[in-house]
Amino acid sequence: MSVAVADRATLDAALLMAHEIGDRAALVALYTQAAEDAGGTAAAFYLTHAYVFALDVGADAAPILRARLIEMGAEVAVT
Amino acid sequence: MADDIRFTGLEDVQAPIARAHGLPNSHYTDPATIAAENRAVLETTWAAIGVGADIPEAGDAKPITFLGQPLLVLRDDAGAVRVFQNICRHRGMILVAEPRNIEGAIRCPYHSWCYAKDGRLVATPHVGGPGQNAHPGINRATLGLVPVRSHIWRDIVFVNLSGDAAPFAEIHADLIQRWAEFDQPMHHGGPDSTFTLDIATNWKLAVENYCESYHLPWVHPGLNSYSRLEDHYHIEQPGRYSGQGSYVYRQLKNEDGRTFPDFPGLSAHWDTGAEYVALYPNVLLGVHRDHAYAIILEQVAHDQTREHIHIYYPTATTDETLRTRNAKLWKDVFIEDIFVVEGMQRGRAASGFDGGRFSPAMDGPTHCFHSWVAGRVSAMAVE
Repeated sequence: MSVAVADRATLDAALLMAHEIGDRAALVALYTQAAEDAGGTAAAFYLTHAYVFALDVGADAAPILRARLIEMGAEVAVT
Repeated sequence: MADDIRFTGLEDVQAPIARAHGLPNSHYTDPATIAAENRAVLETTWAAIGVGADIPEAGDAKPITFLGQPLLVLRDDAGAVRVFQNICRHRGMILVAEPRNIEGAIRCPYHSWCYAKDGRLVATPHVGGPGQNAHPGINRATLGLVPVRSHIWRDIVFVNLSGDAAPFAEIHADLIQRWAEFDQPMHHGGPDSTFTLDIATNWKLAVENYCESYHLPWVHPGLNSYSRLEDHYHIEQPGRYSGQGSYVYRQLKNEDGRTFPDFPGLSAHWDTGAEYVALYPNVLLGVHRDHAYAIILEQVAHDQTREHIHIYYPTATTDETLRTRNAKLWKDVFIEDIFVVEGMQRGRAASGFDGGRFSPAMDGPTHCFHSWVAGRVSAMAVE
């Protein structure tokens, strides 16, 4: 799914729609974008969601997102 | 009421067959008695809960409730079947509510704690606060899914809930050895080779009926034409399994005279031999030169049983028409048994029934099962 979402309202609507239809791949992409648009705790919050849905769906992005979370201090290096 | 009807204790059940009585009514009708019996014969043994064919692909997961316990049967990425408690280590939420394929991790639908298919806890989102996914008080290494002791034999998933039974291969070494010739690849026939039967009876009555050949000429008259009573023999391994064998198995043929392929390398005994065994506690098995089956007995309630039937073949592909006919043949036979196991269940409401008397000549395999149940319940009662 394309995630070229122009503004926050559109992003929120896309997230709600993706949740509603259970499109987990889209959730990975949309939450990743939300993280990139945010900063600080909010970025870690959204990136965590992207990571969880990446784990859920078995996406290749999961280890990359995890590495980013570790770098942000939001995740532990050893599980 | 006849003078010789009396209440019997379990010691009467374990007496030699010529003197023995069957299990008392309460083992079929009284939930409290059955709860104690469940502990003795289903929880502390190796009980069947399903087959590997229920979850054929990597990531396939099936929730099962067994003895009230929520279990998750899962095929991991390496193809191994695993059994876990189907709950999150966080708040005890049911993890998987319906059979489905787990693509990546097992994600709890409540707070999204994630588990790998080998049971490791791999993610605890926001556990340390928003955007903080770790906390010193949460040691993921100690919070994996709780494994349930399991063993796979002939594609059947067995569990030992109590966790303290002797190893499956040790307990059932006799049957494993008896059927060593069948210890080779077998393939589930697919959707047309599985069916379920819901029966208003206690699960033990399905075992008891399956064990003996005494009823065959009366309940399965169609078998008389080629499989007479005298063509059968008893199989009795006290404490383990019992059943019946046949010397006159005849292969199913299609219009062209073709049969299913044989399991390779079988000895001549199996040219016309077949065996039907109840492996204690709750699985009914049949082996033939060209197919095998397993019936998992699910105790739905003390007077409700669901039979899950699965038929297997020596090769991955077989003639569809023949396979469908074979499944119908067995389904018709098993349906013929329903009125007797339901009738015996209704009969257990008769006040003062003494468990019944066995035919010393014909009911040995059934008495063998009764004696095993009585022995385990008695032993647990004195613990």
